[in-house]
Amino acid sequence: MIAVLRSELNRTLMIRASWVSIAATIALGLTFGVYSADFWTLFAGIGAFGLAVLTTGQHYQHRTAMLLMLGEPRRWRLLIGQCVAAAVVATVTTALSGLTVADEPAQWRLTVALTPIVAVLGVAVATVVRRPTWAMAGTVGWLLIAEGLLGKLRAPLPFSAYLNAASSEGDSKQLLIFVAWTAVALVAAGAMIRRDMVSH
Amino acid sequence: MIETRRLSKSYGAVAALREVTFMAAPGRVTGFLGLNGSGKTTTLRLLLGLSRPTSGEARINGRRYHQLRRPLREVGAVLEQGVAHPGLTGRGHLRTQAPLAGASDARVKQVLEYVGLADAARTRTGEYSLGMRQRLAVATALLGEPPVLILDEPANGLDPAGVAWLRGLLRSHAEAGGTVLLSSHLLGELELLVDDVVIIADGEVRLAAPLAELAGEPRLRVRGGDPRLLWEAFGRAGAALEVAEDGATLLVAGMTPEQAGDIALAVQVPIYELTVETVSLEEVFFELAGAR
Repeated sequence: MIAVLRSELNRTLMIRASWVSIAATIALGLTFGVYSADFWTLFAGIGAFGLAVLTTGQHYQHRTAMLLMLGEPRRWRLLIGQCVAAAVVATVTTALSGLTVADEPAQWRLTVALTPIVAVLGVAVATVVRRPTWAMAGTVGWLLIAEGLLGKLRAPLPFSAYLNAASSEGDSKQLLIFVAWTAVALVAAGAMIRRDMVSH
Repeated sequence: MIETRRLSKSYGAVAALREVTFMAAPGRVTGFLGLNGSGKTTTLRLLLGLSRPTSGEARINGRRYHQLRRPLREVGAVLEQGVAHPGLTGRGHLRTQAPLAGASDARVKQVLEYVGLADAARTRTGEYSLGMRQRLAVATALLGEPPVLILDEPANGLDPAGVAWLRGLLRSHAEAGGTVLLSSHLLGELELLVDDVVIIADGEVRLAAPLAELAGEPRLRVRGGDPRLLWEAFGRAGAALEVAEDGATLLVAGMTPEQAGDIALAVQVPIYELTVETVSLEEVFFELAGAR
């Protein structure tokens, strides 16, 4: 698992598209934070989720998941390693992107504290879908239609729960809902990562 | 040591493999031959834990792949071509693999030199030629210094010099006690390299044997001035005889070229052709794989 973590962090730091995405997320987060802490929290969540989907989904897109599976054939360990790596990258990114919301320290702390869970959700979704573009397009559609238009960001759905847990200090119910959604996604990912890696 | 025992894999109602059983021994190069769609790649994927068998088992050094404690220190694999993120350099790709293989940066540098990619180490793999990607795949397999190598069509994309280089690499790996299992459709190349042959067709093993046994006893092809006289003389010497399609050439088994020459001289029949024929791997393959 540690080997997977080191491999994933090496990879993230060496692929230009990855660190450009991280830098862009930080820059945009810093900008949004100037205008609204709530908007920054929303963006930080989407950013953390997107980075996790990107790093995990690219392995399936470029077939390098096969190399990871050869290196760590116990796939649940592989999944945990990927989750930890995504959580580390996303947490550092979120923490830096929120430096402009220093006047809302509670919200910054909560958002940063929830980021690892968002990253795990992203890894889980990418593991199930295996295509980063589909995963991101599907998530944006879900966020806009199911959670935004229909649920008004108040329904017990994952991103709404994340936003409410991060924005309202101590809202343990929303936190539990968010963690439960992530756990469900992680269980699904644990089942789906066992699928055969078939030839091109 | 690589071993499969009654290994089967089905995709729905389609049986891709049926009770495949064979062994690849240390110190030997085993060629795994089959036409496209015969089940070669499926077998290799099952061996490497990338797919799960419907029944049967595949073992490497006595254990299933997922039971290997440090798999990349025990098995190196070349599967598919160009499996690397195109945005990574060759060196970067190997550095992402190094933690998984328990390899150091020095080892990364060493394998890059060994496969002839030292000059392209800082070039992105997206800019690599097919041959360079294949060399990188070999470097990835060698990173953990594994005793067992499993390679699926490793010569694809390599130029003749690259093929010769790969042949030398695999030969010396086996001579050092390593186990090599490779699939290929380049029968001529394989014939120069392998010790043992496994032929698979329609998901079933049709033959698993040492290459030397396939060739069988060589026979002579003799064309002389008086075929009838030669036939009688060779027959008296105890040779098994047949007449070739042209009706004038004799196919002689159980006799050396020297003996045949001496007999022809003794009966004063001029010889126009005297060649030794062995059965080629290609002939055996096409006969067993059912393709022409």
